[in-house]
Parts: sequence; C-alpha cells; structure tokens
Amino acid sequence: MFKVLPSSLLLKSSARIKRNILYKPIISFTSPTVVTPRFLSTTLPRLHGHLHKPKPGEELHCTFILKDGTQKKFTVAKGDTLLDIAQGHNLDMEGACGGSCACSTCHVIVDPEYYDLLPEPDDDENDMLDLAYGLTETSRLGCCIKMNKDIDGIRVALPQMTRNVQTSDF
Amino acid sequence: MKSISIIGSGPSGFYTAYHLLKKSPIPLNITLWEKFPVPFGLSRYGVAPDHPEVKNCEETFTQFANAYTIPSGSNNLMHKFQFIGNVQIDSEKLFKLRSIQDCVILSYGCNNDKKLGIPGENDTLGVVSSRQFVNWYNSYPENACATPEQWKGSDFWKNVKNVAIIGNGNVALDICRVLLTSNIKQYWQNTDINQASTEAIKHVSNVKIIGRRGYEQSKFTNKEFRELWELEKYGIKGNIDSKYLSNVDESKLDRAGTRRLEMVKEYMKPFDQRTKKNYKKFKPPSTFTKFWEFDYMKTPVKINKDARNNRISSITLAINKVNEMNKFVIDNSKPCIDYPIDFLITSLGYKGVNIDELGCQKHLNNIKFAGDHLATNREGQVLSSMDNKPIPGLFASGWIKTGSKGVIVSTMIDSFTVGDEVIKYLQCSATSNQQASIIDLQNTVLDSTNYKPTTWFDWLKLDAYEKKLGNPRRKIINIADMLKIIGK
Repeated sequence: MFKVLPSSLLLKSSARIKRNILYKPIISFTSPTVVTPRFLSTTLPRLHGHLHKPKPGEELHCTFILKDGTQKKFTVAKGDTLLDIAQGHNLDMEGACGGSCACSTCHVIVDPEYYDLLPEPDDDENDMLDLAYGLTETSRLGCCIKMNKDIDGIRVALPQMTRNVQTSDF
Repeated sequence: MKSISIIGSGPSGFYTAYHLLKKSPIPLNITLWEKFPVPFGLSRYGVAPDHPEVKNCEETFTQFANAYTIPSGSNNLMHKFQFIGNVQIDSEKLFKLRSIQDCVILSYGCNNDKKLGIPGENDTLGVVSSRQFVNWYNSYPENACATPEQWKGSDFWKNVKNVAIIGNGNVALDICRVLLTSNIKQYWQNTDINQASTEAIKHVSNVKIIGRRGYEQSKFTNKEFRELWELEKYGIKGNIDSKYLSNVDESKLDRAGTRRLEMVKEYMKPFDQRTKKNYKKFKPPSTFTKFWEFDYMKTPVKINKDARNNRISSITLAINKVNEMNKFVIDNSKPCIDYPIDFLITSLGYKGVNIDELGCQKHLNNIKFAGDHLATNREGQVLSSMDNKPIPGLFASGWIKTGSKGVIVSTMIDSFTVGDEVIKYLQCSATSNQQASIIDLQNTVLDSTNYKPTTWFDWLKLDAYEKKLGNPRRKIINIADMLKIIGK
C-alpha cells in the first residue's frame, strides 16, 4: 500500500516536469488487501471540525489513504479544504498553523490522476512544501486544496512522517 | 494510571503532551512544568511577531489543555493533565520528580547562546546575541533576561544606522526584517511586538548579514528569504553580490535550493525586467531608503570599540577560502577588512544547558551532554554520563534533544516520535503505584514556601488580560506584574 520514497530520490527540480517519467509509482492507490484495526479513544475530544454540510445533489467525494493503508471515503461539501475534512473526521493531520499555509503539517500526496486537475501551488505553498517530510512529485498541502466539482473523487495519501525521511537540518 | 512529568511548555513539551494524551492506551496523569507563569516558550517568545500564523499551534495546545485540565470534573476522559507554571525545575527537583513519576520528559529547549569567542564580544556596548535581541522585541520577562540594560534605552539608538548580523539562519532573517521595517507603523500595528523596541530601532538603515561560508550553505528557509525580498515595496532593497552566486552548481541543488536561486536572480533584476509574475507582485517606490545585504566567506576576528564610551565602532573580518578538505578556513594571504558598524548581533544558534548544572546540585541525575544538547539514544531516552546507558524513565524531546535547528514541524515530528517511544516504554514497565496527586507533587517537589506555582486557569486569566490591552495582545513583561494580575 505504501512505499516511501528514499530521501535521496526526493525531487530535485520544480513540480511537473519529470513526474510522469520518474516518480509515478511512489504509492499505489489500489485498494488495500489488509485493513488494520486502529485504536480509537471514544473519549477523545474533537478539537477541530468546522465542516459544511453538502447541499442535496451537490455532494462531492474524497478519499484519504491513511498511514496504515486504510482508505476512508467521505461525502463533503464544496469549499471545504482537505485539512478541514481530515480534522473534522479526526484523521492524523495536524494543521499546526491553523490552515494558513505557514507550516507543512497538512502535507498530502495526491493521486497523480488528480494532481493535474489542481491549480498550481503558489509561492507560499511551495515554500512550505520545501520543508515537508517525505516529499513526492505530487505533494500538496491539505489546507490549499479546496473541494470543487473539478476534483470530485480526489484521492490523497497521508505521508509517513518518520525519522527515516528527516533531513538532518534545514 | 501512569504519571508523567514534562519539563518545559514550549512547542516540544506541549506537542509531546498532546501526542501522549491523543495516543496513549494507558491512562496518563501528565504534569507540564514551566519556569514562567505563562506557557508556550519559543512560540510566545521566539517566533517573530509578524508571523502570527506560526503561533496558531498555541490554539491547538489551548484546546486540549482546556479539555483535559483537572479539575474540569465533568470530563470523563481517561487522561488527566495539569500545567504548573512559575516553577523552575533544576537538578534537585528533577531528581525528586523521577522518584515519584513513571516517566519524565525533558523538553526545556536551548536557552543559552553559541559564541564567536573573539575579543570584545562580551564587554562591548552594542554587541548582543540574537537571543537577547529577540527576547527584547518579544517582551521576554525582564528579570529573567540578564543583559546590560544600556542598549535597550532609546538614547543609545539615536546614532545606530549600520547593523551587522553574524550568521544567516532564519533568526538572522527575522532580526533583519524587524530592524528595517521598525519605522513602518502599519506593518506592526496588529502584532504583539514590544513597541518600545520598534520605536528605538527606527533609525537603522543598513543591515549586513555575514556568513562564514558561501551562499549555498545558507541555513534560512525560502519563506523567510522571500519575505525579505518582498520588503522592496516599502523601499527596502536587498543585495547579494553576483560573485557569490557564480560558483553555484545548479545541478547539485535540491528543490528548495533551485527555487532559492531563481528567487535571488529574479529579485536582483530591475522590476521591469523580471520574467515571472510572482516576482512582480508589488512595484517598489522609485527610491530606496533602507538596505540589506548578504556577505559571505568572512570570519569575524575582532570587535573594535570607541574607548570613550565603550561602544562598538567596527568589526574586523578575515576573508575565507575553501581548502582541500572542502572546509571553510581563513585565507591568510588576504588582508583583513574592517566594517564600521554601530551595532552587532551574533546569531549563531542557541545552545542547551545540562539541567544537572542548574540549582544546588545536591543530587545529580548523571545526565550525559553532547556539546550543545542532551545525549539520547534513538528512542529519545536520555543517556547516563556514568555508563552511557539509557536512564530509566528519562526522555527528551525538541531542541534540548536535537540541538537548535529545524522549524516547528520538525519539533512536532520529534515530539510525536518520542511520545510513541514513551508509550512503548510505559507499556513494558511494571505496574505503577505512584499516583502522585497534585498535592503530593507540589509537596515533594516544592518543599519550601517560596514558590508561587500557577495553574492553567491562572494563565487563562492572564491571557484574557493581555488580549484586552491590545490586538492581538500586549505581553506583560514583568513576572511580578503577571503574578499580581493573576492574584498570587
């Protein structure tokens, strides 16, 4: 389900150019064969979650692939960001800066099939992606991806954040 | 139930606590200790005031502290959390804490300076460390800040126009930005910067950022770099001499390096000749009034002063070269140069202090130290100076473990990783019978009446008070005043 790219292979030049040749098989987006049960405290307070209800007939969908390979599909409303959605459903996505594109804790890896449908990242987002752990060719920030009709069905994976992919300093 | 104490309530301490409360299957009783009555450490006192979005992590910390703090009583959460402020944990207190807690995590960060070690550094008026300077504009508690007071007065600053900063990490860039924008009212009006400081430094018009190595070894991140260039809209002009860029091997640059080089090349062009629209967002005014410049390949060797008033007059720098070993060393064939300056800020990074060196040291914890941070194993467990083995139940997270590097996301990930290891450790360790209540904890650790510990609710009171004073807040600078407002 998840193959983390070795840090030595992290992309060297800016976004789209070499993607199709080199970096496609970073993560397989096929359905997982094993679903690992996950500990969930029933008493965990919900810290975030300002999700909108989709209007009838205007429901959009998105799928998150969690670190253990589990897939979660949600019905969501137009305008909510992937960060809003992840936090609203208590997924492991931090959003330390409160969704203002000032950290890289909402880093997601977008299914290449959907990546080109997204508007290009701006300078602020790119500056933060520079610092993201386990960066890939289709990495984006969850706070900068707003749900709309064009990307209905988008699939994103949460990156592994471990010391293996940590650069020593920056 | 297992009991954990975390020392330090900055991002590393709070993120560690947060992760433990979120992830531990074992019920936990967590105590977060802080030397000031106020929490958040470097988020409150380190992050630049014009980066409020970086401080948003405080909101997450506040939400969960509110949810878990005893005695909210009505909560049915499996974990308990308490904040004890205004208590400095030293060697002795740590020793006692370890005897009554299942686990202690050191997250007290780095609060000392790395030094240049050159003549004049410590006894010249107008030479300060970046930590002292940042503390000043961020209203760090006064009586905790042992710095000569002369340079904080407005009289001192009347003739300060040329400033040099040694080191080029993000802290240096923050300071450069603060120095050059201090006279722009609208830039700072909705921040919590110490207004006495911006008022004082408003005459500064030239900043040189000096590095020992070359452009390619720059330590700052692109966000901070871009902010500096974008100041051109206020008539603040940046410069990097093209000779420092000529040797850059573009094929060896990583993603961030490629983007950084493009940024320099574009911003060095006149506005109308830039090729990309994102470098043409704001047209600068026709004349520039303030200037910053990066200066590379120099080693400071001597600080020169005016004998009459002991103030800095210039800095002597040696020219560096790259030797056979690929190291940057002084090139003795070239003469030193002198830069006349009115103020010098050394921004070489922060240095940790061994907690065993704090306090009366009757009982030492035999903590091993590794240069500027604690020695730990891969799991984040602190090593013993006696036998180099992990000390049972003693962990470290954040800068005191890693040294002072990395942005908040790296501190967060480190704290989460250590949190996971602590949970593993607690799952393997024997059942605990140490259910220290707050009273036990305070009686054991705070054995004299000289302490005025503060609670999370005290902080909420102070927080509301500060927010009433200004937008987003005016920080109370004096600890005695903080305690008065809290009512202790």
